[in-house]
Amino acid sequence: MSSKALLEVRDLVMHFPVRGGVLNRVLRRVHAVNGVSFAVQRGEVLGLVGESGCGKSTLGKCLIRLLEPTSGSVLHDGSELVGLKHGGLMKHRRKMQMIFQDPYSSLNPRLSVRETLREVALFHGVAMPHGLDAYIAHLIERVGLRAEAADKFPHEFSGGQRQRIGIARALACEPEFLVADEPVSALDVSIQAQVLNLLMDLKEEFGLTVVFISHDLKVIEHFCDRVLVMYLGSIVEEIDCTQLHAEARHPYTRALLGANPINDPADRRPLTVLQGDVPSPFELPPGCAFAGRCPVVEERCHQERPTLSERSAGHSVACLLD
Amino acid sequence: MSGRLKQFFSQRGMRKLRQDKMAMGALFVIGCYLILALFVVAHLPSPEAVVMRVGPDNIPGVFGTQTAEKRLSDAEFRLEALQRAVRTNDPETSLAEFRMGDLRILAGTPKAVESRIEGGWKAFEAVAVYDDIEAEAVALELLENLESEVAALFSPPTGFTALASFLRLSLGTDRQGRSIALRAIYSTKVAVQIGMVAALISVLIGTLLGAAAGYFGGWVDHLVVWLYSIFSSIPWIVMLMVLASMFRGSRFDGGLIPVYAAFCMSFWISPCRVIRGEVMKLKELEYVQAASAIGFGHLRILLRHVIPNTAHLMFINFSLLFIGAIKAEVILSFLGLGVKDEPSWGVMINHAKAEVLNGFFWQIGAATAFMLVLVLAFNILSDALQDAFDPKHV
Repeated sequence: MSSKALLEVRDLVMHFPVRGGVLNRVLRRVHAVNGVSFAVQRGEVLGLVGESGCGKSTLGKCLIRLLEPTSGSVLHDGSELVGLKHGGLMKHRRKMQMIFQDPYSSLNPRLSVRETLREVALFHGVAMPHGLDAYIAHLIERVGLRAEAADKFPHEFSGGQRQRIGIARALACEPEFLVADEPVSALDVSIQAQVLNLLMDLKEEFGLTVVFISHDLKVIEHFCDRVLVMYLGSIVEEIDCTQLHAEARHPYTRALLGANPINDPADRRPLTVLQGDVPSPFELPPGCAFAGRCPVVEERCHQERPTLSERSAGHSVACLLD
Repeated sequence: MSGRLKQFFSQRGMRKLRQDKMAMGALFVIGCYLILALFVVAHLPSPEAVVMRVGPDNIPGVFGTQTAEKRLSDAEFRLEALQRAVRTNDPETSLAEFRMGDLRILAGTPKAVESRIEGGWKAFEAVAVYDDIEAEAVALELLENLESEVAALFSPPTGFTALASFLRLSLGTDRQGRSIALRAIYSTKVAVQIGMVAALISVLIGTLLGAAAGYFGGWVDHLVVWLYSIFSSIPWIVMLMVLASMFRGSRFDGGLIPVYAAFCMSFWISPCRVIRGEVMKLKELEYVQAASAIGFGHLRILLRHVIPNTAHLMFINFSLLFIGAIKAEVILSFLGLGVKDEPSWGVMINHAKAEVLNGFFWQIGAATAFMLVLVLAFNILSDALQDAFDPKHV
């Protein structure tokens, strides 16, 4: 992995203890993220895709230290984030922000747009008090809202507009790294495209590095340079977005691609639906996590755990059969 | 600051509240009570003053004519009072001491007054021989004479004094001859005091502890839950009895401090529980996570992003606890544990116990009606607050 990476993740593990019983003992653990390693290069857009509950949001929150990982390390510009206390994190906080999934719960209903943005800008000293109004007006216009919107409250906006405000808040402290946690999945399809285009423009303008979390491969293909496919807390494939259709080799990635609707009626093909369920995140199977649902499973898949290995430049797969 | 206030009143919740006619009516009623308690009561004459003959049978003015027996005993009462006053050197002062309210002695030498009183007593004795005054026309005529005799001894009150006297007697008097209307109005002071202080402190303590417990979780949460489980397992009335006996002999004895203490110690539990739950829900919301992603400290997140969003619960709990405190105060005073040196609705109801058995219902009626209107207004208001400020409805 290159030393120029903006963010480098090594063997990241996140387990949530489930407590209960008389003495509040740890009864069992949810294995949300199990030893994930990757790097995010400066200026790239990295997609993170997987089905619900595969740990992609948890991973995103670990990246900007909204959650403290159980073990592993996250290096931001070469300095370790894991284990830092509140004060030590502060200079990193300014550089990394998050866009949330649900525009209806991501804004404080009691604060106007101006108050929301002012708080962030003042807190991180991005704008001087006398230039604050101009800064806020610029920011609001930059995300495609009119400057009059500043004194309105969140309930006066639609979902798409709220998401724009959420984006403005994330940009208010001028970050260089953004985690976008399914930023469009709660929006109408027509609005999705607008918000995605806005994100693309902003990415160019602010020179952002983005980790884009989604369960929709279409959106990922549209927006990202590289994609990580996650299954039950592990990365099963890492591939360039341009090669996705032609080169994807992991059976799970193929299944995800197969589930994408194709907007050409002539190109109809039989849908391969995965059978079975995701194994319990409480107890991981000894072999490949996907073995129970894999269409090409072999005997050894149930005993041996595959590791991510590079097949060609920028393309890694975690499958025993490949 | 005024800008923020303006903004607050133009918010959707406040707009909604203003459109609710019932709520505005309830607010008006509560406002009247507050004005009574905070401004009017201080200027009222003492509620302990005896304004009428001692005994519970001074029926409210609105109930109309009195029986002949009652008129006779009133005349007797007045004659006695006058006679005692005339015998002293300073009739004016002694009448005032006798607390005859607005009645003034006829100008004239003590000698002249004495002889008129003499005549009054003669007439009284003439009437008193009849067993049944109502049935005998002669007796009724004699009674009329007696009353005009007595009236001549007193100059009837005029103007403002007459109105004041009428209002004072409008709801009758209690056994000791004290004005019920005055006492009932005076009692709003204690009620509002107790309601305000107990509800405010309880909501404040409950919100702070509940928010801390819900937000931080872990040992803070365990501690708060443990604390309120303990406190809620002690009935507040027992706690109050313990506190009252603790304060006995100190300068707080019989005052409001033990009552406040007991109410706050038991009433903070319900807002605490509700707000703890709400905060546990709120802290998982994305705007709170966004706030910690920005790097805000816990205190700032709590005070600016979490607690303000529990405001609707604070309002509702305040108005519910206000009612609860007033009702609890009434129960306490009824049991003789509450306020001792001031009238309160509970004290009035307590005093009315013996009267009610004999059919004199106006004291208990007045106290209950005053309390009912205030409690009802608060109930309507808390319903309206719930509708207006619950984020689920906006």
